[in-house]
Amino acid sequence: MAGKLRIGVAVKHGVDVVLTRADKATGLIALAGAPRKTSDFDKNAVEEAVRLRDKHGGVVTAISVGGPNAKEALREAVAIGADEAVLVTHDGWADWDTRAVGRLLAAASRTLGGFDLLVLGEGSTDHFSGILGPRVAGELGVASVAYARKITLENDLLLVEKDLEREVEVVAAHLPAVVSVGQEINTPRLPTFLQNLKASKKEVRVLAPEALGVDAATLRPSVVAERVRVPEVPRKLTTLTGATPEELAQRLREALASEGVLP
Amino acid sequence: MSDERVLCLSEEAGIAESLVRLARSLPLGAQGRVEALVLAGAPPGAADRLAGAGADGVTTVSGAESGDPQVVAAAVASVVESLTPTLLLTGSTKRGRELAGRLAGRLDLAVVTGATSITLAADRLTVERETLSGNAIATERVERRPALVAMLPGFDAPRAAPAASVTRAEHPAPVVAALVEVRERRPKPGGEVDVEKAERIVTIGRGLKRKEDLVLIEALARALHAEVGCTRPLAAEAGWLSDDHWIGLTGHRVHPKLYLAVGVSGAVQHLVGMRAAKVVVAVNKDPKAPIFAQSDYALVGDLYQIVPALTKALGG
Ligand SMILES: Cc1cc2nc3c(=O)[nH]c(=O)nc-3n(C[C@H](O)[C@H](O)[C@H](O)COP(=O)(O)OP(=O)(O)OC[C@H]3O[C@@H](n4cnc5c(N)ncnc54)[C@H](O)[C@@H]3O)c2cc1C
Repeated sequence: MAGKLRIGVAVKHGVDVVLTRADKATGLIALAGAPRKTSDFDKNAVEEAVRLRDKHGGVVTAISVGGPNAKEALREAVAIGADEAVLVTHDGWADWDTRAVGRLLAAASRTLGGFDLLVLGEGSTDHFSGILGPRVAGELGVASVAYARKITLENDLLLVEKDLEREVEVVAAHLPAVVSVGQEINTPRLPTFLQNLKASKKEVRVLAPEALGVDAATLRPSVVAERVRVPEVPRKLTTLTGATPEELAQRLREALASEGVLP
Repeated sequence: MSDERVLCLSEEAGIAESLVRLARSLPLGAQGRVEALVLAGAPPGAADRLAGAGADGVTTVSGAESGDPQVVAAAVASVVESLTPTLLLTGSTKRGRELAGRLAGRLDLAVVTGATSITLAADRLTVERETLSGNAIATERVERRPALVAMLPGFDAPRAAPAASVTRAEHPAPVVAALVEVRERRPKPGGEVDVEKAERIVTIGRGLKRKEDLVLIEALARALHAEVGCTRPLAAEAGWLSDDHWIGLTGHRVHPKLYLAVGVSGAVQHLVGMRAAKVVVAVNKDPKAPIFAQSDYALVGDLYQIVPALTKALGG
């Protein structure tokens, strides 16, 4: 690593899964125009990038690939502590899939002079392909570590605790590297009113794919969502009542016995 | 219609076999083939089991013994070059997704992860997958080949007869320098419960005030011959229970006959883990708790009064 640490952090302005409702009659969800917010794990990614910068010095650049409103996610990243904000956008952004976003993030990393460390969330709250970090690293040909729950940096040596289903691995890699983080790595700070105000005035650098050397025509989706529906699980919605907890328990016992689910 | 060549691989031997069976169940065309990969670390006899599951070809990769997904991706990429699959199948496990990402970046693949089913009809590949934190199912059409689909463990894999003849090959992995070195590997605490296989589960949420009160929940679980499950805060934040009890989007997905949720609010990320339960019972003091909208039986009240009464009433 030559000179000061350059950290990139990717943030997505994704569909808000709590506010999004299906159409009552069809059970279908329309993603176009759905409410959006900063993807959960991306805030952990920004927080971690900012902590590493505070400890080791350097610059944190937040990058979002998306529509014009993705500036909101970038401003949130700046409020948490990112130094710079870059939006990669284009009129056809709504069609961009994981492949397109991966290619654009890799291209942005090259064009912006290369990052020593690129931090992403393990997956997005809405789409959760869960592959973007390794995908970008695969394209750039640099080291990648996913599922980080602890990151330490000793000069240009990165030590990461990798949280797998049944085990934890401690892995080491030299920079440059791409790391994707899980929710357990930290608790993102809540920016103060003043930090938010300052961030709202921060200039966001806007770049088109062409400015990154990518022909937008080559970003046609490789995967297209035909429909999104909420699976219907019929439930009985029966409220049991009883004058005492004992009576209530007795009612449940009878109900479960007739369902045939008691041992 | 052109013929499909499907390449199946997973670091989990059981998933690899299921992938072969799934591939076999798809209409691949007269010349279609199901190929399976045996990677470093596979248990002895893995190649025979993949052949038994219905593969036309089994390729054993020698070398690429590394905890660096990049090294494994290089090995798989060189197999892809020689077998030219139209479709790659893997498991949507953490390691599976990591490898899928590396491969996709390297080979510019279309990728779908978290898949629950695959349909192939007249060259059209469509995949159903979980989306929106598991709240919704998306039907996605794949427009680019080769494509890689990572199946969520637990997918349907019908049994198939073995192929009449099975080609066996050895494939030496290309020698590439690892960029990531594994320094230590330690199993996670827990491992004593398998909520994914449990027939009955009593899940406790933040309605529990103190760790010591877990005995109440454990007593109810014993009375019901049930395993104890929990919401994310109890495992990830409080650490009162190990991760193997954790149910939901980032925990385990369960399909018991009986799911009893106690002091659980019913956040979307939790509901996805319990959606497949046959009968759902919720105990919550808040009559407006979202969990009640996803329950068969609602018990409104204080868990500290209801749970001991349930333990008594249900304990035989
Ligand atoms: C990306 C992401 C992934 C997540 N993954 C998961 C996941 O896999 N699994 C998961 O569970 N969560 C997950 N979460 C967290 C989830 O959003 C909720 O925060 C969590 O499920 C809430 O847990 P809870 O129901 O135990 O707690 P709370 O939401 O605090 O609910 C506690 C409930 O207990 C009731 N209660 C309190 N006292 C009593 C009493 N004495 N008697 C009866 N009832 C009482 C309250 O009325 C309340 O409804 C995830 C969140 C995010 C952002």
